[in-house]
Amino acid sequence: MFRPQAMSKVELAVPERDVVPVTEALAASGAFHPTLTGHLGGERVPRYAEDWHERAATFAALERRIVIVMEALGVDEGPPPAETPHLIELEMAQSDIERLEREAQAPVQELEEGQRKLAQLQRYLGQLELIADLEVDLGTLRSLRYTFVLPGTMPISNLERFQTSLELIPSALVTLRREDHLATVVLFGTQRDADVLNRAARSAYLNPLELPETYRGTPAEAIAALKSNIERTRQYIAECQTTIDYLHEAHVQRLRHLLWQVCASRTLAETIARYGRLRYTYLLAGWVPASQVPTLQQEIKQVSDKVLIEVNTPRRQEDGHIPVALENPPLLRAFQALVTNYAYPCYSEIEPTLMIALTFPLIFGIMFGDVGHGLVLALLGLLLVSRKVRALRGLSGPGTLVIACGITAMVFGSLYGSVFGFEEILKPLWIRPLEDIMDILMVTIAIGVGLLSLGMVCNVVNAALTRRWGRMLFDHNGLAGLAFYWSLIGLAAGAFVGGLPVSPILLAALAAVSGLVMTFSEVLEHLVEGHRPLVEGGLSTYLIQTPIELFETVIGFLSNTLSYVRMGAFAVAHGALSMVVFIVAEIISPAHGVGYWVVVVLGNLFVIGFEGLIVGIQTLRLEYYEFFSKFFSGGGLRYCPLTLISRREE
Amino acid sequence: MSMQEVSAYSLVHATVRALYSTMLTPETWEALVEAQDFDALLSALSKTVYSPYLQIERQELTPRRAVYQIRWHLADIYEKLIRLTPEPGQQLLLQLWHLYEVDNLKATLRGVEAGASWDQVRHLLHPMTRYITLTAADMEKMVRSDDVARAIELIRHTPYYETLIHALERYRAEKNLFPLEVALDLDYCRGLWQSINQLAGIDHEQALRIVGTMLDVDNLLWAIRYRVYHHLSEQEIINYTLPFGYQVRDKDIRAIAAGADIAQVVRPIYPAVEVPPLISGGGGGGAGLAAIELSLQRHIVKTCRGAFIGYPFHVGIPAAYLLLNEHEIRDLTVLIEAKASRLPTEMFASMLETQTPAYQTDQR
Repeated sequence: MFRPQAMSKVELAVPERDVVPVTEALAASGAFHPTLTGHLGGERVPRYAEDWHERAATFAALERRIVIVMEALGVDEGPPPAETPHLIELEMAQSDIERLEREAQAPVQELEEGQRKLAQLQRYLGQLELIADLEVDLGTLRSLRYTFVLPGTMPISNLERFQTSLELIPSALVTLRREDHLATVVLFGTQRDADVLNRAARSAYLNPLELPETYRGTPAEAIAALKSNIERTRQYIAECQTTIDYLHEAHVQRLRHLLWQVCASRTLAETIARYGRLRYTYLLAGWVPASQVPTLQQEIKQVSDKVLIEVNTPRRQEDGHIPVALENPPLLRAFQALVTNYAYPCYSEIEPTLMIALTFPLIFGIMFGDVGHGLVLALLGLLLVSRKVRALRGLSGPGTLVIACGITAMVFGSLYGSVFGFEEILKPLWIRPLEDIMDILMVTIAIGVGLLSLGMVCNVVNAALTRRWGRMLFDHNGLAGLAFYWSLIGLAAGAFVGGLPVSPILLAALAAVSGLVMTFSEVLEHLVEGHRPLVEGGLSTYLIQTPIELFETVIGFLSNTLSYVRMGAFAVAHGALSMVVFIVAEIISPAHGVGYWVVVVLGNLFVIGFEGLIVGIQTLRLEYYEFFSKFFSGGGLRYCPLTLISRREE
Repeated sequence: MSMQEVSAYSLVHATVRALYSTMLTPETWEALVEAQDFDALLSALSKTVYSPYLQIERQELTPRRAVYQIRWHLADIYEKLIRLTPEPGQQLLLQLWHLYEVDNLKATLRGVEAGASWDQVRHLLHPMTRYITLTAADMEKMVRSDDVARAIELIRHTPYYETLIHALERYRAEKNLFPLEVALDLDYCRGLWQSINQLAGIDHEQALRIVGTMLDVDNLLWAIRYRVYHHLSEQEIINYTLPFGYQVRDKDIRAIAAGADIAQVVRPIYPAVEVPPLISGGGGGGAGLAAIELSLQRHIVKTCRGAFIGYPFHVGIPAAYLLLNEHEIRDLTVLIEAKASRLPTEMFASMLETQTPAYQTDQR
């Protein structure tokens, strides 16, 4: 639980004729994380050999064609099939797609044509409606020999300037209507001045109305004719749509099946194209969880007995390339998401999900201690987990985290004696944060010291796991750092509290020695781990840097520790905020009438929502910046087993 | 003198005075002009107020990038003075600031039309982070859209959309950005004029004097360019220019549009401005037009400097300072390009708008 799943490196040599069934078996197993082997082999590959790159490209083109047909017929991809489809015969897929394309082509084209025509007619209608009041025959307007007529729309802000520009030309500008910032106008003049008038109109941003050539009569009559034409076009579109709906029903299953088959075949071809290759053999390699290796071997042997399989345990040098498979029970998935949101753990380091599952609710509970508020959160978490509300289904993942936080808030609520802000109902099992401020602050600092020490211990373990002995012994967060931190804690505790079982001189000596070791940690680490040169970047720079770094470390320890004070501060703030709610409620209704209870309910909801959010953020901050930074480097490679039927958009 | 004006503008005035002292002195200009090459110019600039903006990797500091970096200074002082200036003067500064947004929009549309990448466009834009309606992300999306119509659809949420969408018909017909750009300019100037007219008392008077002069010069130069360069008809020139102004009247613009002698129109408005003979006859001539443009820009600079003499508690002070800074940066742009191209001093020194230094006269 503290480590990712143990992985084994599996290398296979597969005869050419078995490469497809073996790859299908690897994909079906859901356990094989392939690595690149394309650089292996490559010599003397026969020219007649299968070109998987080319096949992958052909399948990809086919996939695009299927998608186009599906979009035209309104077919979605549907759920992925239960069983992985096998490699499809290319010719068969091609002929299938061609047939479907032929069937869909005519009705789809007719539909598009109808929609284009409808859009055009509606544009005409929109323009004619602007001049609907004109009692002029459109045909006459178009055939005037001596008079220039230009109906159009233009920005109202340009009207005055346009009129000014026309002062010296015999013309008349009639404004028919003004709507928003646009005016509908008709410009009259003589045909002799048509060129000048056109240029002037253009420069005033007068957009001429596009009047349909085929319509005669007044604009009102043309509008009536257009409307009936629009109606006919709509009917035509509906008929086309019926045909398309019929095709949809007839081919929906076939299209989906074909799409998944081609999609799987494309992925298969792309996967094989990345394999290494000898003359008649493909070379594959990948990572498999050690526990699943025997099953995988059996599955491969079932499809081919000619495959050579070699299983190796990973070498230390391969750490960065080993995929990390986290195996946490479903209850911890929400906490695992918090970890992976920060970074994916490396294969060789501690997997901190369990630690965060314990510390996150603890920190949250300390800051948000209230039985009532915790209960509301726990119920909310249950609602999220139950997935009963459709709108909240997407949030079902963090449900367990909310439940855990709710429960710890209830526990600390009992310790603080607080129920929905009421301090009189429950007797506190421990302290009231508002009354014992120093106590709660000291306890939270102590918890902080514990968590930081845990972080440093994890760093020591991580260093030991990777055999970085220098880092383990001398690092600021290693054993030297831990000794330095605890000796400082001891000295501080001795100064403020007294009565320590260890002599202060011994603690001071330990602090001095460990401080000295930390000061020269770089040199010591290099010495132990065999890195040369011992000092990088020159001795003088190093000597200037080291005391500053030590000072920075001391300040870091101090600020990291004090950072946990916020737990106590928020516990106090939580109580104070609840108190404010009651003060406001008293002001609104001193007799504890309806107003009082309305304020109490709304105030509590506000505290749960507003403070809950802030406390959640602060908890995350303490985990990520104070705790994780001590040991968690991240940067691991996510375990992605080979699959042939992943959703296309993934 | 109203106590309200003094209390409202005292902080702005003090700030502008402090900032004014950081503008480049004639001695610094002399050093910049005399710099051997682009590197020497950058070295000289590193001793000025622009130094922090030029602290990037030297290989990245191309002439274009240097201009972009320098413009950050203008962005910083605009943002600072907008924040400090009280209403309604703040609206005027905001409107002035939005001129750069309009310029950015035009540059973005040019980028879209030219099929440029976002990396090619981004450093041509004015850096703007606050008090904006058009973000860098919007412009990046526009550039990536690869189509002018689609790009305009992406800025539906901005005040520029209505203007552009109507002018788009003409872009579609003519496949030229000119109508879109003119529509944006006219719309912007109408907004600026409205901001001036919303002010009262000394604020209105000073805004009219400073910003109105800038509008006048732009309007006049548009009319001249449309006639001399674009050969537009009288009606087109009228439609593409503004009917209002501070000293330039509509009759002046209409006279230029109708083909009157440009010098005869300009001289009565600006008796002190030198109108070169090339343009006097109303004919073409790039050099003549450039000379009159330079004279008019220097007139703006002079007007802005004049704002600092006399009663100081008004919006004219921050507005004038900001315009002066714009001109300083324009001059620096000329200098950077000249030094990067290794032009001899006499080819560019006379083109500086903020400087008429002694060395120019000496060289003559």
